[in-house]
Amino acid sequence: MEALNYTQRVLSEIYQRRALIWAFANRDFATRYRSSALGWAWSLLQPLASLLVYAAVFSLVFKIQAPPLGADPERTSFAAFLFTGMVTWNVFSSLLMLSMTELKSSGDLLRKVNFPAWTPILGASIVQLIQVILELAVLIAMFIFVLNVGWTWILAIPILIATALFAQGLGLMLSILNAHYGDVRYVVTVSLGALYFLTPVLYPMSLVEDTASWLAWIVKLNPMSWFVESMHDVMYSLQPPAWWVIPALLVFGAVTFLIGLKIFNRYSEDIGELL
Amino acid sequence: MTGYEQMENAIEVQGVSKRFVRQIDRRNSLKERVMRGKAKNSQDFWAVKGATFNIPKGSVYGIIGHNGSGKSTLLKMIAGIYRPTEGSIVTQGRVAALIELGAGFHPEMSGLENIQLNGAILGLSKSEIADVTGEIIEFSGLRQFINDPVKHYSSGMYVRLGFAVAVHMKPDVLVVDEVLAVGDEEFQRKCFDHLYKLRRAGKTIVVVSHGLGQLEGLCDEIAWMDHGVLQETGMPTDVIAHYLSKVNADEANSTPRLDSARADTELRAGTQALQLRTATIIGSQGETINHAETGNTFAIRLTYSTAEPVVGPNFRIALQHESGPLVTMVSNHRIEKDLGTLNGEGTLDIAFVNNPLLPGRYRVHIDVFDDSGSRLIDNWNDAVEFPVRSVFGEIGQGYVHLQSEFTLK
Repeated sequence: MEALNYTQRVLSEIYQRRALIWAFANRDFATRYRSSALGWAWSLLQPLASLLVYAAVFSLVFKIQAPPLGADPERTSFAAFLFTGMVTWNVFSSLLMLSMTELKSSGDLLRKVNFPAWTPILGASIVQLIQVILELAVLIAMFIFVLNVGWTWILAIPILIATALFAQGLGLMLSILNAHYGDVRYVVTVSLGALYFLTPVLYPMSLVEDTASWLAWIVKLNPMSWFVESMHDVMYSLQPPAWWVIPALLVFGAVTFLIGLKIFNRYSEDIGELL
Repeated sequence: MTGYEQMENAIEVQGVSKRFVRQIDRRNSLKERVMRGKAKNSQDFWAVKGATFNIPKGSVYGIIGHNGSGKSTLLKMIAGIYRPTEGSIVTQGRVAALIELGAGFHPEMSGLENIQLNGAILGLSKSEIADVTGEIIEFSGLRQFINDPVKHYSSGMYVRLGFAVAVHMKPDVLVVDEVLAVGDEEFQRKCFDHLYKLRRAGKTIVVVSHGLGQLEGLCDEIAWMDHGVLQETGMPTDVIAHYLSKVNADEANSTPRLDSARADTELRAGTQALQLRTATIIGSQGETINHAETGNTFAIRLTYSTAEPVVGPNFRIALQHESGPLVTMVSNHRIEKDLGTLNGEGTLDIAFVNNPLLPGRYRVHIDVFDDSGSRLIDNWNDAVEFPVRSVFGEIGQGYVHLQSEFTLK
């Protein structure tokens, strides 16, 4: 009951501050895309470049086989498989990193005006969604190109929302920790690098299941694996996951977000002095 | 008893204290936290100690005090930026803080977009912002530039927009920190008119300023802070008078090092062919003085001794204001004064003719270079320190009083 009350309070607080969140989103949009005419193109360059490198190295050098495509079990597409995972992963890693940098860069303002410190973070995250949509468009184009189209695509939306909620919750916690201890950012960067390889992005889950059991367990317990695997299911294999999977991911994401915001508020009372 | 009905308070400050943990004792990184353990609170600094006062609704309330007296900390607590360590502050209605004009402006965004952003930061809804946008543009006088990115604005335009935004956000309490001196004369007039208008509309204004004259004219009541402790609240004329007499008494009591000798044991930089011995601040007749006066000649008297004859040395005297800035540096080479060959013990006077320094406290740093001006012979940082007082009774802005002429042509 208390959890419900809290949820309601959080939602109404976010709703009350919508003008501010939106204003910060506008500001970030202006910095990211307006000052350079090729802003949109640049933002896609980085993921596409790593796609190219990883696709080449992991399919040609390491000879990793992608699972069969949903539309035609005779064929596979490693690039499409890889990019499905990358898009999901990028939602996670970008929201974590930008939460930390956004809070730090809002410090100047937070020392002078009193407003909730999570609003610029949510604003920046909204702008990041543009990036997600762009990457998703590229992904869809890739799947159309390999003739792998299905109704299950629609399920990608709740999965990505759950991923974003999860990442934002974690991002809020880490950003306030980073405000207290400035080197948290480096720890997170390093951890993200390691976690990337413990998530079935560059390889299919089946490959880990065949190997050492402890490693398989780590990959399976990694929450990001759940999101990435679900995306593989609905985008690549064109199979809906078990009926409870997506609701469970949404609840998991929402709970992480609510806890993240609670922790953030608990430790951001003296934010004006910290930053 | 209508007077009592009007005494409803906009802000009630109850036993408020604010503690800061000194930077040296804070754990700024995980590494430090792990290596050095939990921070001990032995280096606490109380910026405000047990302040209690009420700010009546619809009044203009000033806070005065020396630098570091805690007045800005108090203001930030009223604005909700800092949280009191002890005590409570109850405010009624929306508080808008003018800690810095245009603090939330983003250079890439247009003036109009920045109005919307700043409005949102100060807590307005979209429709409320839309309602006041026209007024803000009108007040700032920037209609023709309003769609340009603010990075192209001059600093004057920037500040005008910042002020216009803050005062139009329909605050119930406006908190102002030293930002009244903005723009040109005409705009300042406009700002004050607007503040009076807000007051007539029953808004409360809390202002911190060093401009005592300004505050005396504007405020209904003034609080005086000293080293974090609230000294007095009351009528502006009374409180300001008490504050000023305290400041003058402090200055008379404190003993700046107007006269100092150097210990022989001190480690010194330079070739030491010449050693500085003593430094003294003296008056134009060579008499000892306890302060210099703006407009009147004073001098620094140095004594030295040489280990070997020193040819054509360059004495460089730097004056640093107490707040940090280097105000000026004089040297005999710059004015092409050759001191000849110095041998043995001697005395050198450096006079500052018609002292242009404004009231404040200044530190003296001395370097002695050889005749090429590049090799250090001796150096004495923070040799002496002297206060400057005004004979006209006004303090002035900045560090120097420039001789100026105004001529109608």
